[in-house]
Amino acid sequence: MAAESEHVTQNQSIEEITKDQYLTFIIDDEEYAIGIAYIQEIVNNLSITVVPQTPDYVKGIVSLRGDIIPAIDVRCRFHKPEKEFDEQTCIVFVEYQGYQLGLIVDKVKEVMFIEEDFIAPPPSAKLSYYNQFVKSIGQVGDEIRLLLDLDKFLLQD
Amino acid sequence: MILLADFDRESMLDMFIYEMSQLLEQLEQNVIQGESGFSMEAINEIFRIMHTIKGSAAMMMFTNISTVSHSMEDLFYYLREQNPTGVDYGRLTDFVLEGMDFVKVELGKIESGVPADGDGTEIINTMKGFLAELKGGGKAPAPAPAPAAAPAPAKPAKAAKKKQAPPPPPADNGVRYEGKIWFSEGCEMENVRSYTFIHNLEDKVTDIWHDPENVIDETASEVIKKNGFKFKFTSKLPYEDLCKAITSTIYLKSMELKIEGGAEVQEDGVKKTYKAHVTFEEGSEMENVRAYNMIHSLENKVEIIKYIPEDVLDEEYVEVIRKSGFILVVATDMKYESLYNLLQEPVYLKTLKLEEITDPDEVTLPKEDDSMVQEEEKLEVPPVQEEQLAVIAPVKAPAPAVPEADAAKKPATQHMISVNVSKLDLLLNLMGELVIAEAMVTQNPELDGLELESFVKEARQLHKIINDIQDTVMSMRMVPLQSTFIKMHRIVRDMCRQLNKEVDLILIGEDTEVDKNIIEHISDPLMHIIRNSVDHGIEMPSVRREHGKPEKGKVILEAKNTGGDVLIIIRDDGEGLNKARIMQKAKSNGLLRKDESEYTDKEIHQFIFLPGFSTNDKVTSFSGRGVGMDVVSTNLEIVGGSVLVDSTPGEGSVFTMKIPLTLAIIEGMTIKMGGAKYTIPIISMVKSFKATKSELFHDPSGNEMVTERGEVYNVVRLYEFFGCQSEITNIEDGIMIMLENGDQKVCLFVDELIGEQQVVVKSMPKYIKKIRGISGCTLLGNGDISLIIDVGGFFDK
Repeated sequence: MAAESEHVTQNQSIEEITKDQYLTFIIDDEEYAIGIAYIQEIVNNLSITVVPQTPDYVKGIVSLRGDIIPAIDVRCRFHKPEKEFDEQTCIVFVEYQGYQLGLIVDKVKEVMFIEEDFIAPPPSAKLSYYNQFVKSIGQVGDEIRLLLDLDKFLLQD
Repeated sequence: MILLADFDRESMLDMFIYEMSQLLEQLEQNVIQGESGFSMEAINEIFRIMHTIKGSAAMMMFTNISTVSHSMEDLFYYLREQNPTGVDYGRLTDFVLEGMDFVKVELGKIESGVPADGDGTEIINTMKGFLAELKGGGKAPAPAPAPAAAPAPAKPAKAAKKKQAPPPPPADNGVRYEGKIWFSEGCEMENVRSYTFIHNLEDKVTDIWHDPENVIDETASEVIKKNGFKFKFTSKLPYEDLCKAITSTIYLKSMELKIEGGAEVQEDGVKKTYKAHVTFEEGSEMENVRAYNMIHSLENKVEIIKYIPEDVLDEEYVEVIRKSGFILVVATDMKYESLYNLLQEPVYLKTLKLEEITDPDEVTLPKEDDSMVQEEEKLEVPPVQEEQLAVIAPVKAPAPAVPEADAAKKPATQHMISVNVSKLDLLLNLMGELVIAEAMVTQNPELDGLELESFVKEARQLHKIINDIQDTVMSMRMVPLQSTFIKMHRIVRDMCRQLNKEVDLILIGEDTEVDKNIIEHISDPLMHIIRNSVDHGIEMPSVRREHGKPEKGKVILEAKNTGGDVLIIIRDDGEGLNKARIMQKAKSNGLLRKDESEYTDKEIHQFIFLPGFSTNDKVTSFSGRGVGMDVVSTNLEIVGGSVLVDSTPGEGSVFTMKIPLTLAIIEGMTIKMGGAKYTIPIISMVKSFKATKSELFHDPSGNEMVTERGEVYNVVRLYEFFGCQSEITNIEDGIMIMLENGDQKVCLFVDELIGEQQVVVKSMPKYIKKIRGISGCTLLGNGDISLIIDVGGFFDK
């Protein structure tokens, strides 16, 4: 327990430093964003080993320099149709609450600032189950970024 | 705590806890062995341990621990000095164990960072009461003086120390000494060291007086640093023994000890002049340079008066040094043996003769002087056995005692070091990486099809070395089961006393070694099985007599090595498992899956390992809740072990725990199935074979079976089991692997075998929930991941 809370406080301080910075990636036509504090590494082209008897969005495990890390298909998690991996497909490695995970995304776009003032809560009406993964909505000029709720996205079944 | 604030208390605490737990373990063992009556050695040993515990606790300022151990020490002091007869050793043991438990609890508190605030007064009082009882009742015909006087001699010493009283007049039966010690510069905490020093002397000497008086005060450090630590004491021990005791202090730089007011007996702090005569190994070449190096390396440590030949760097002296050696005259305040050790360091040193001399000028004569040559011959001719260094002791008397003691101590102190487990873990991880990296290089796909004669040869050599390193790394993690086994004595003893049973615990093969990580997991299961055996297995003495068995029951705890596994066998000569009761209980719990008559004895026995299963109607403090045996099987599963039970009614039962030697690196067979690779531990594989369609059949419920050499086995198709796709579904295209788990066998159908390889077991990421049939994963030589098959998973109900 102690180790976990320590972990959180550590994350918080990193969070402060990297506040307002987000990595954005694309699934279909939407652009999603994750706070950059959680991002460890982006790798494209890693071979994924299938693990039986896991939820469909767990595509398998990958080895990142000797560490074994599960790879989660973000499309699958959003219940979007599967797509062949192409040269733009990337695995974004994140560390969250002590879990190390790889997120398979269609394409990584950029690192950008989204100021707190331009972040709004999502519409209160939950029209579908899957939009619960969106924590808030960031506006950059006249474009929209969907900020992921990592808690729900990564840790909820 | 002011005292301790300045240095790293954490590391000292760690050390303290570590030492204390070791001492306690040792003590427990001694106490339990002595329950039926202590031998003199046992009492001395216990007394010594108690004393150390008391001392360390006092030094770390855990007064409650030190007072409790002090009162236990008093008890044993009485036993040691008075050797009373008719002592109730059972009760004595109870008290000591109780006291130890108290210390253990306090240690636990310290370890978890809670203040050790336990109150030991009750224990102390009971012990005092017992001691008084002993003294009162012990009107034994011992020719001893009045028993009450017994503990007295120890106390004045302590009192004197505590109150810092001026020296009382010397006792008539001992010599009063005075002395002074200096600690090495930079050793820090001189005051604590002085305290320990005094403390260590306590049982050898009496009436200790020291200056500065209050060593615990921090300012004392400075004083000690400046003036040395002065002390006076009275002792009956011979001078040499006292010297020995004093010189064993760590970080001691020099010491003085003399009879109070009398002439100095020895003074180490004063500079003495030594002559060292050195010869080098034949064929070592460049003797002059070596001599020069030696001088050079000594320059900072001792005062070099002269050396012969003087111009060592001149090449013409090479021959001279080669023939007649090299003489070095130094002045130093070092002790003889430290100087000797220092001089011994250079490589290619053949002989070293070190003498103390009075007049350095006497030594001048180097040039092929007769005496020199003679000496030389003396050195060569007498059996300077093999390449041993000849030592000629200095003329002064007291010194020889010290080197001897040193030599005797060395093997014990220098051949063992304690290492933090996390370092070993790190080493093991790196070892794993090395094994993988080696495979990545030697099985690199770019090498495919190349003719690489010498590469292959070198690679084989590399592989051999890596294997050796791996064995060594693994062996470093191996710990004998001894300490785990010995703990069981206590459990058996406590239970016997409470249940009024008589049980002998016999240990066999306790020196069998098991990986450190695994040992942690088997201590609990072992305890539960032992409890079970004593509680359920062994009958009451009266019942045993009726059955014609010896009243004293027997539990045999045996460990042995069988290749990749260690077997721990717990055998008792009790009544055995009651099959009918187990069956009945299983039925009422709804555990039966087939007809009652179909169950074999083994299957029935295996029921006791299910959670919540207890045939005992009463819940006792030891069993009846049905958790014990369940813990056994789950705990063993964690480390990939298993447990079997066999029993003969009326004759006893046998529990066999099978545990792997190590968890980290296993021999694996890599197989392919549906595009993915899996690794099966070789240990679980019996054989592989091709099956034909005609050997395959199904039972009415659709279970697939295969006959092989006249026996029938269940077939598990791996792709079906894991719910994967595979192109190979025809039984004749793939291959069968026969697996065994305990005494059950099953045939696994896979696409193809790839090859045998050592793999480093990595655990699955915790994000992925436990998957039945998979125990972990590993990296293959080409960087691919392979899942490690958990053979036990195929045998689950």
